[in-house]
Amino acid sequence: MTLRHKSAAAILFFQMLFILPAFALLSLRDGAFEPLTLIAGAVLVLFNLLQYNLLRTAFRHIDRFSLLAAQFLWSLGLVVLYRLSPDYGLKQFAFLLVGTLAMVVAMLLIRKSRDFGRWNWVFMALTLLLLASTLVLGRSTYGARNWIRIGSFSFQPSELAKVLFVIVSAYFLSTRHRLLSFIPYLAFTAVCVLLLVAEKDLGAGLLIALGFLVMFFAATGRVLLTGVGLGVLGAGAWGSYHLFAHVRTRVEVWQDPWSSYQDQGYQIVQGLMALASGGLLGVGLGRGMPGAIPARHTDYIFTVIGEEFGIIVGILTIAFYLVFIVRGILIALHARSVYDAILVFGCTAMLSLQSFIIIGGVIKLIPLTGVTMPFVSYGGTSILASMIQLGIIEGVAEKNGRADEEEVELMGGESL
Amino acid sequence: MKDVKKFRRNMRISLGLFVALFVMLIVYLGYSVVTYGEKWFATPYNPRVQRAVENVSAGDILDRSGVKLAWTQDGKRSYSGDKTTRLAMSHVVGDIYGKSVGAETIFAKYLYGLDKDLLARFQDARRGREDEGNDITLTADSALSQYIYKNMNGKKGAVVVLNYKTGEVLASVSLPAFDPNTVGTKEPADTALVDRAVMGRYPPGSIMKIVTAAAAIEDDVDLKYTCTGSEIIAGQKVTCVHAHGELTLKEAFAHSCNTYFANLAVKLGGQRLKEKAEAFGFNDKFNFQDMSLYASNFEVSAEDGDVAWAGIGQYNDLITPMHAAMLAGAVANDGVMMQPRLLRDVALGGYSAYNFTPRQYRRVMSASTARVLREYMREVVKSGTGTSAAVKGATMYGKTGTAEFVEKGETKNHSWFVGFIDDDDHPYAISVIFEGAGFGSRYAAPMAAKVMKRAIS
Repeated sequence: MTLRHKSAAAILFFQMLFILPAFALLSLRDGAFEPLTLIAGAVLVLFNLLQYNLLRTAFRHIDRFSLLAAQFLWSLGLVVLYRLSPDYGLKQFAFLLVGTLAMVVAMLLIRKSRDFGRWNWVFMALTLLLLASTLVLGRSTYGARNWIRIGSFSFQPSELAKVLFVIVSAYFLSTRHRLLSFIPYLAFTAVCVLLLVAEKDLGAGLLIALGFLVMFFAATGRVLLTGVGLGVLGAGAWGSYHLFAHVRTRVEVWQDPWSSYQDQGYQIVQGLMALASGGLLGVGLGRGMPGAIPARHTDYIFTVIGEEFGIIVGILTIAFYLVFIVRGILIALHARSVYDAILVFGCTAMLSLQSFIIIGGVIKLIPLTGVTMPFVSYGGTSILASMIQLGIIEGVAEKNGRADEEEVELMGGESL
Repeated sequence: MKDVKKFRRNMRISLGLFVALFVMLIVYLGYSVVTYGEKWFATPYNPRVQRAVENVSAGDILDRSGVKLAWTQDGKRSYSGDKTTRLAMSHVVGDIYGKSVGAETIFAKYLYGLDKDLLARFQDARRGREDEGNDITLTADSALSQYIYKNMNGKKGAVVVLNYKTGEVLASVSLPAFDPNTVGTKEPADTALVDRAVMGRYPPGSIMKIVTAAAAIEDDVDLKYTCTGSEIIAGQKVTCVHAHGELTLKEAFAHSCNTYFANLAVKLGGQRLKEKAEAFGFNDKFNFQDMSLYASNFEVSAEDGDVAWAGIGQYNDLITPMHAAMLAGAVANDGVMMQPRLLRDVALGGYSAYNFTPRQYRRVMSASTARVLREYMREVVKSGTGTSAAVKGATMYGKTGTAEFVEKGETKNHSWFVGFIDDDDHPYAISVIFEGAGFGSRYAAPMAAKVMKRAIS
């Protein structure tokens, strides 16, 4: 335990070592020294330290590595966002503060996760309401109708719907056994995916469909049925490829973005050029040219990281998601109730699939469907959703730790 | 939940799946940027290159003997003062507007100093030459190119000369050419901006017989065949210029007998032919560093008639002049095809920052097959269809081609010649095509002889 603690502190230290020089560089960018930028960096460092220590004090058993991986990811995101525009950076920092609050609330609520089942129908209704709301009130950006604007405040309901979907899934998957009793859940999933497809929010649709399949497979162990589900998803993809021009365009652009670099392929081509110009070590913070990349602060932030910090840091970023995934699944394996286990497993699966879908799309491994990069991309709802999921994972980790402690005491030993 | 153990096991399986997905991300990211990064970067649409064009004084482009082909003076890009040189080298050098794909675009990274590492940038900043690019030296010989350009006499087509041992492209001339000085202001004529040498995909006609013969030599197939001037194969009539009579494979190759090779192709089979053609680089996207070489095409159908035509370079066969020269070069180089190269050196503030080492494309046939093919190709020039390609004082090898195509309802012939000379000091391979000119033996072969003679002098 002590050793673990030390290594965690070391990671925290290296994280500081990255943030401060990055902001120092940014403060010198326009030739003149800009003290406010350096202060912003110092505030971020203080925030990370304070958050880490306070959480460690209030919740003794939280998983340090998940938290530190998330801290690295949002710190990298904040550096890049501040570099793109200080305004993005400051707003994102505010989202992060609110997100931390949401995370703590989620951690506290998870103590009473036994009672979530009673609210299941409310959660279901809320999910559908959120998803349907964009059809009525929604605003289109980048071809998808997935935003709602209320006054000067805009948010993306599908981000929160993802979290609710995991909670609803955990209830069904932990309480139902017979196949027939799954029908309401299957219908619910289908409606969610169809609503997202109707809104042309293919990324979120794909995410929920894949997340459902993984959770269903793990919880029920029905390989055949999961295979059928995968087949339905494939057939749906094939069908929409032939039915909808915008899906066809996505696939064609994925195969050859260069032949339509001026219109449909523009974003992918710009992203690839950015990654190529970064090379292994990157051109250096502030020396790149992300100005031409659409959605550089949200979905495409990975290309900015690639250009200025290089492929090596890009790979490191992917590795941090991996840390997150491995720790998440370990916590799920350790959970005392099946419900909690599925909850943590679902959140981990959603976060990892989401990062895979966007990074894979950006580097042209799979067709591009727009979702945000968890913890890194700019966006209030995105950060909020990621932080709630982190809160759920950490909340269960805390519960696991307490249960361990009680068991040790029962056996008459001393708690660690 | 029936079985918690199973649930735990499934979660572990899912973890394995996620880890596999992320490892795939890492591997693909590294692989694609290392393999295609240069291509992705060096396009005129890259805003980084565009910015450099505005702010950086681009370096000089020199030919292999140091002749200046392009340079920057007072912020203006200038090209060779000699108009013939400008036109002859136009596709190799390119233009700064990115309308053609030449060295100006492909090597923008060097020319605008975008390849400089941290140390070089630091040194440049100290010396105050931050906004200066690097000079590059090409493998091409401007004098030879100029000679070729003049002798093509305005006829549409392309000539490629390369060193088959190193892959260095000595000349790559495409007509019609354009003047880089006026690209931005005057729209060049017709298809002048297209580099026919690397983008022109032509039916290969009889030069394809090199590939068919290679497959036959490997499979040890030699038909006992008498050519009567024409034959109907699987319902398709294949004709020769005249009846060749009784032939061996070598004689059929030397005299370019269509009916013999059509029968041979059917006997070898479509799949075997396709396999051999792909070994020679057909259907490959050629991801070469120094040029955007278009893919050559080879396909067959289940019909014997189509296989017969494919085996003699018609049907849907297509080849670029550059690839045709590589093909001849592979025969000369004991079966090893070299990657064509255009960049010889990069000068970074007085010292060389580029280490030219020849790169193999791949071994396309065994050395023994290549040696047999050499004899065949020698016979073509000695006694066959390519006698007009003979060069005094050197041993010339080759293959003529007369590729049929239909333009506006009229059947015309591309005149082809590919070959090489056996000379340790001058290991050169050549390909010549004149669009719609007529027989390969009459137009392309004599041109090849002229160019080779000049190249070794």
